[in-house]
Parts: sequence; structure tokens; C-alpha cells
Amino acid sequence: MVEGRKQNNVLTYIILILGILLIILPLYVTFVTALKSDAQSSKSFFTLPIPIYLESFKEILSSERYWRAFINTVYITAIVLAGNIVIMPAMSYAVARKMPVSTAYRLVYYFLLLGIFIPFQVKMMPLVKLLSALNMMNPTGLAILCISSSTCESVFLFVGYMGAIPPDMEEAAWIDGAGTLRTYSSVVFPLLKPMLATVLIKQGLWIWNDFMLPLITLNKGWQDWTLTLFQYNFQTEYSVNYSLTFATFVASMLPLLIFYCFMQKAIIGGLTSGAVKS
Amino acid sequence: MGDKKKKGKSRRDKGRDRAFLFFTAPGFILYSFFFIMPVLMGFYYSATDWDGISKNYNFIGFDNYVKIFRTGQFTDALFFTIKYTVLLVVLTIVLGLAIAMLLNRKIKGRTFFRGIYFIPAVLSSLTVGLIFNKICYYIIPVIGKALHIHALSQNPLADKNLAMWTILFVNLWQGLCIPTLLFLAGLQSVPTDLYDGAALDGASAWDIFRYITIPFILPVVSVVFVLTLKGGLMVFDYIKAMTEGGPGSSTRSVAMLIYKHGFTQNKYAFAIAEAIFMGLVVAAISAVQIYFTNKKKAV
Repeated sequence: MVEGRKQNNVLTYIILILGILLIILPLYVTFVTALKSDAQSSKSFFTLPIPIYLESFKEILSSERYWRAFINTVYITAIVLAGNIVIMPAMSYAVARKMPVSTAYRLVYYFLLLGIFIPFQVKMMPLVKLLSALNMMNPTGLAILCISSSTCESVFLFVGYMGAIPPDMEEAAWIDGAGTLRTYSSVVFPLLKPMLATVLIKQGLWIWNDFMLPLITLNKGWQDWTLTLFQYNFQTEYSVNYSLTFATFVASMLPLLIFYCFMQKAIIGGLTSGAVKS
Repeated sequence: MGDKKKKGKSRRDKGRDRAFLFFTAPGFILYSFFFIMPVLMGFYYSATDWDGISKNYNFIGFDNYVKIFRTGQFTDALFFTIKYTVLLVVLTIVLGLAIAMLLNRKIKGRTFFRGIYFIPAVLSSLTVGLIFNKICYYIIPVIGKALHIHALSQNPLADKNLAMWTILFVNLWQGLCIPTLLFLAGLQSVPTDLYDGAALDGASAWDIFRYITIPFILPVVSVVFVLTLKGGLMVFDYIKAMTEGGPGSSTRSVAMLIYKHGFTQNKYAFAIAEAIFMGLVVAAISAVQIYFTNKKKAV
């Protein structure tokens, strides 16, 4: 019995380590190829980068297009996150507290839920018409669009979370004479912070990594590219150069991997907690 | 509405209602304008023959919806997408559950394994697709030739029979992360004394799995099922990054076809009809899932 369990554990380790290799190997190849010259890579893709070759990184990091794409991505993500912080918790507070007593707010809530059922493709083409008519085919326009698209999911998560918060504390603040705005900012908003972290991580990763929306709204000129568009357009232009191609991937992934190293627990929590509840 | 208890509201109550209205308005307006309106515009255009550019168009009713099933392109793409989705859903549930059960065993370094296994989830699916595209193009043929594996001696993405499986592999490489963690959370919610009791009663491993594990994780399975199903039915990034729908049209998903028709071939209204049809399928699936989960809660 004990023998069998030990053998089982050995088998578990072997499978789990094979799984790790499967995950690490493509990333390893990406990093080392970026750090080797093409002559080094054509001997073998798997050897370590000795001597280390930095020309590709120098080229990427001195390219105006990369930095423009980086800044655009940061800019769009920042606006969307700021919009989510300002609009969604307040809206959810109003909806959650008014829903039991007001039909109008109940309807607003169901109206928002509708969005969860509608796949992006359904609104994709009219959206492009709408944005170009409003002269919004630019990073700022995309950011406003993304805030609008995130409304349904964010409010859904916050309202669900509000349900578990008893209204006692707000009522105490209210009886003490605090106004609604004051009650919200000093009592309700701090209580919503754990869910806010989840929402921000979800939305942030989605915006940062999104490809389809930028592809249909920002692909006119490189000044508007995001990092995903930069990578996509880059590889169709310079597909012959191994080192440079993989260096673009590394330069685009690195911010995310660093973020993951420091925030692993929050990210895992953020990406899984909402899904279980819905 | 809100004033059932007392007749007439105090000034403070009115102020509160105004503040709530002020809280709700921005999100509501943005959502109505940039989310619901394009959907309604889509329904409107899908009943026309508009090419997306010219000034004039005619109303043709439901003709587009009939036409999409007459041309082979949509049905071919639909068939590919369904095949792909079925494989993706089955493999995600089976492999995700298997990995989660391994990670749930009492082993050392569980957090380490979990940390590594979750890396792909934070990357962009486009980056992942492009990396594997390059690996298939540059590296796989070299390995295949060195090991004398005929099937891998050329780029698998250029092979009609292997392209779909390669995309599926890459999709799973990244897409298994979140389902595995959800399953893991589900497994950890099973009270351990249930397992101990069953083991004392001499239940077999299969019985324990069948009668204890499965009932506990069934809600997670249903969440993973719907998430993966939606992802599969609308698969775009991986295909765009790896094959652009080729070779030929052997990996052209419905989302790829909609993109091609709508943005490169000026079949504007036609492409919207295709999108709305797929949207209805996805919405119906989500509605059925929510209906069943709510029913279970009520019981």
C-alpha cells in the first residue's frame, strides 16, 4: 500500500515535470533565439546563448515603432483601468442598493447582463462604422470603447460582491449624517477593494493582450499600433530574421512576465475568482 | 417605487436618489451607445444588401440568413469550427481535470508547479500563436528530420491534416491554465473527511472519483464547459497568427470567415448575418447553462 503510493507519487512528479518542460521549452527557445545571432541559431536552436548577442534587442529598443506601440498600449490600458475605477464600483453600488426597491434599476441590471451573452463579432462591424463616423479610430477612441465593453462584466462582478456586504455600515454612516457621496467614498469603496483588484487584473490583461479590436480599429498607420499589432505587422515584414523576430516577442512579453513574477497570487486570484462565481 | 414605506421623501432621500442616478448614468450611457447600439445597427444592416461603402442599399429581409447556408464557405467554416470546438472542450475538461488532480496530491513544490503552469495565461494569445508559428516554421522540420519522423519533417502548419491539430495543441497549451486552476479550486472544496470515510468503507478509487469528486466539481465543469465552448466557437487569434485559415481553407473558422468577408471582401451585410447567426448560437448555449445552474441552486 505504502509502496504503491510512493510509486504513484514518483509518477505524479514525472508527469508534472514533463508538463513544465512542455510549458518552458517554447519560452526558452524564444528567449535564447532572441539572444543569439542567426548563425548561432542555425547550428542549434536549443543551445544557450554563448556568446550572448544583443544586436536584436538594441535594434528593437532603439526602434521608434516599438516604443510608440508600448506607449500606446500603456496609455489605452491606463485609461480603461481608470475608467473602471471611477465608473464601475459607483454604478454597481447604486444598482445593488436600488435593485430590491426599484424596478427601473432592476431593468438596468438585466439590460447590462444582456451584454454577457453577446459575442464580440456581432457588434464588430457596425462598431467600426460608428467609431469612424465619430472620428474615434485612435487609441483614445479604443480606450473609451473598451470601458463601454467592460461595463457588463465589471458591474456583474461588483453587484455580486455587494450582495455579500451587509448594508449596516453604510446605514450607520448615513444616520451619522454623511451624504451619499461621502458614504460611498469612505465606507463602500474601501469594502469593494478586493473585487476591484480582480476586475482590474481581468480588464488590464484583456486590454493589454487584445488583438482583434486594435486590428480592426488601429491598423491604419504605425503611430496607432499597440504591442500586439506591432508584433503581428513586424513578422509579416521581416520574417527571415530569427533573432529579430523572437526579440520582438520577448520585448512584448517581458512587461507581462515581470508583472506576473511580482503579482502572481493576485493574478491567479483575479483570473479565477470571477469565473467560479458566475 | 422606493417610497412604499413612507409617503413623501425627505430631502436627504431625494439627494440620495439623485446621487445614485449620477453614479449610474455614465456607465449606462457608454454601454448603450457603444455596445447595444452597434448590435441593433447590425440587426438592421443584416436585413440589407449593403457592401459597407456605397451610399445606397436595398432591404432584402432575411435573404442574407438564407444565403449564408447556400454558399459552401459558411457551412465549411461552421463544420470546421464545430469539430474544433468539440475537440477543444473535451480535451480541456479531460486534461484540465487530470492535471488538477495531480496538482491536488500531497506533493512537495505544489505552489512552484502551479506558478509555472499558470504562466501561459498572462501572455497574449497572439504572441503565443506567433511564437508557435515560428517554432513550426523554423524548428519542427529540423527536429523531424533529425529524428526521421516523416510527418514532422516539414512545417506542420502547412500540412492540411496536421494544421488543425497544431492549432488545437497551441490553444490547449495556453487555454488549459485557467480551467486547471478552476478544477483545482473545486477539488480543494471537497471535504477531506469524505475521502477518509470512503477509504475506510473500502471504496475503490473509481467509486470515490465517481461518487464524491464528480458531484462536487460538477458546477466547475459546467463553467469550464461554457467558457471553453465560447472560446472555441469564436476562435480567431490563434488561427490568424498561425495559418490565416490555410492551407487552402482547411483551418478557416467562422470568426476568420466573418473577418474576411466583412473587412477584406466588402460583403458587409452578409458578414453581419453570419456573425448574428453565430451570436445566437453562443447566446442560446449561455442561456441554457444559466438556466440549468439556477435550477440546481433552487433544488
